[in-house]
Amino acid sequence: MKPNLMPNHPKPINAKTKTKNKKKLSERSLGYFLIAPAMILIFVIAIWPVFQSFYYSMFDLRLNNPGKSEAHTSYSVNLQTYLDNYPFLMNTLDEEIGEASGKTKEELEAIQADLEKIDSELQKDSELKEKYKQVDEKLMVMKPVSEDLAVAELDKDVALDLEKTVDETTDRVRELKGELKNPDDVIGLSSSLSDSVITPNFIGLKHYKENLSDGRMWKAISNTTVFTVISVFIELVIGLAIAILINKAFFGRGLVRATILIPWAIPTAVSAFMWKYLYDGQNGIVAKAFESIGLFDRMTDLLTSSNGAMFSVIFADVWKTTPYMALLLLAGLQTIPSSLYEAAAIDGASKWKQFLKITLPLLKSSILVALLFRTLDAFRVFDLIYVLTGGGPANSTETISILAYKVMFAQTNFGEGSALSVIVFICVAIISMIYIKFLGRDLLNDK
Amino acid sequence: MNKKAGPMFYVFLALFVFLVMFPFLWVLASSIKPVAELFGDRAFIPFTDNMTLENYESVFVNYPFLKYLWNSLVVSTITTVYAVLVASFAAYAIARLKFKGKTFILGLVLSVSMFPQIATISPIYIVLKNLGLTNSYLGLIIPYTTFTLPLSIWLLVTFFRKIPFDLEEAAKMDGASLMQTYWRVILPLAIPGIFTTAILVFISAWNEFLFALTINTDDAYKTVPVGIAMFEGQFTIPWGEVTAATVIVTVPLVIMVLAFQRKIVSGLTSGAVKE
Repeated sequence: MKPNLMPNHPKPINAKTKTKNKKKLSERSLGYFLIAPAMILIFVIAIWPVFQSFYYSMFDLRLNNPGKSEAHTSYSVNLQTYLDNYPFLMNTLDEEIGEASGKTKEELEAIQADLEKIDSELQKDSELKEKYKQVDEKLMVMKPVSEDLAVAELDKDVALDLEKTVDETTDRVRELKGELKNPDDVIGLSSSLSDSVITPNFIGLKHYKENLSDGRMWKAISNTTVFTVISVFIELVIGLAIAILINKAFFGRGLVRATILIPWAIPTAVSAFMWKYLYDGQNGIVAKAFESIGLFDRMTDLLTSSNGAMFSVIFADVWKTTPYMALLLLAGLQTIPSSLYEAAAIDGASKWKQFLKITLPLLKSSILVALLFRTLDAFRVFDLIYVLTGGGPANSTETISILAYKVMFAQTNFGEGSALSVIVFICVAIISMIYIKFLGRDLLNDK
Repeated sequence: MNKKAGPMFYVFLALFVFLVMFPFLWVLASSIKPVAELFGDRAFIPFTDNMTLENYESVFVNYPFLKYLWNSLVVSTITTVYAVLVASFAAYAIARLKFKGKTFILGLVLSVSMFPQIATISPIYIVLKNLGLTNSYLGLIIPYTTFTLPLSIWLLVTFFRKIPFDLEEAAKMDGASLMQTYWRVILPLAIPGIFTTAILVFISAWNEFLFALTINTDDAYKTVPVGIAMFEGQFTIPWGEVTAATVIVTVPLVIMVLAFQRKIVSGLTSGAVKE
């Protein structure tokens, strides 16, 4: 960054244009310099994760499964796991051979031979052999082994061979179970040994294929759509009505504005819990009120029946965001010159006609912007439903974000969860594109 | 604005204010009732003869609520300061300087602010976990950038644009460099806008739920929204404590909203209204 501005120095006249160019250039580079930190942060923390989500969604990624906790595109072996188990397995087999006799002994010896064969197969690769030695030495003296050192790439055939041999060992030992002294030790060691083989968990678009044919996903999409359309529509209608009514001078504007802001300002999770209390089937005042005006047969219906739960969620959302909608629309209304209404009144236009011919057209872009933000917010709804119903009862309020969260963090299936979150992303992108088409470039205009 | 408000209007207004505020009032009334009166028939009577503060006491004694408040305060404050600082440079450049690709950048910022959080959470969670940053303040401050930075840039650009260009020109004439112009001329004029942005960013960081829920699962690092949402009793939800905690969280917000309502409204509507 070099602001090349030195007007104090007298300059020859013929250099004037040159200085001007230089000035422009410096302004431009300063501009890029100033936006760079923000752009880098946005790229690293917001844009990269979306691509990474898409990448993860093509893997069978499960955080609770050591062999699948990362995205692998090739075969490899975790030498730490391998060496933590292989020598002990051999020792245990030795002990068992010492105790056994006859057929059992023969079979055990055969198993051991197979394992030795695959072990030497593994060490044929010189690079792997080197790592093998290093890891072995570190394990001997109980030193920590770094991930880089522990994981070694394998030839596909060797990897499959290793996996097959180890799995067969487990099966063969199981069959001998009755004859052995400590069969569980052997089985335990050999099944841990099989964890050392890392197979590629790339599965392409399988998660998408499965999800797109899964009823639960479509149910979640339809729940999300129902929630979004109904709540945003009600919010728009009531919000517009309130905005028009309070668009005048009156006593106590400050109070009303504060009232409007409070539901917006309070954390959604906290207000959701508050509503949970008000909706409570035994002690909730709102549930009681709804029951007494005949909206619901029983108080408990509100949170324990499918329709009741959806109604509750929408009602709480309307309460929280209608005031905010009214505020946005009020700001738009205030930009409409009152002379327009006066002129219309003189021409004898009715209030309704004024609304249709003046208010709506002039408010169009405000309405669209408010709708855009609200629709996207509603579509990604999470906090409210997570706290209020948890997606229940019987998944009747499970939205797509809730489903993705459950798959990722309750089932620790990050691959499938990422696929669902990419689906959410695509839906949101489509919704914004539709709105932006209506809005045109207004939204980004320079002035 | 020239229309006069009639008496019917005030009736409507009172009704509106009451409906919006009713949940809070009810929760406030419940929070000072003894626990026994929160259940059964007495649950529907808003007043109690045995007013008590035992719920409030319990919130602080039986739950690490003070810790939650502190965590939220630390995370939100640091997030706000750093997001607004980084954003102010970018917003100044976008609003005041001439260079190519501004519309694209603004479009990008707006699109990022529309990203669903759930779409970024799996890589962010895995990276933070591998870095050992889950259950730490940094573990929330970093992902909070995803929504606070675009929000700050978006708001600040509108505020910066409102500052008259003449002033900048005058400063240039007097020989100030671009950075001098920024620090001496633009920034002082932009302070109200920056403050407004900071309030809105602070509220959005304070209220965040999904990242806080997944990344900081340890009680020592939970934030208020997650802390309250996870209030659990031995057999039932401890409504007494929940209502008291809700009141404790809401009261500062009410004060803040009352104090800064004009600023908040100008911030909320600045990006959304075409003049």
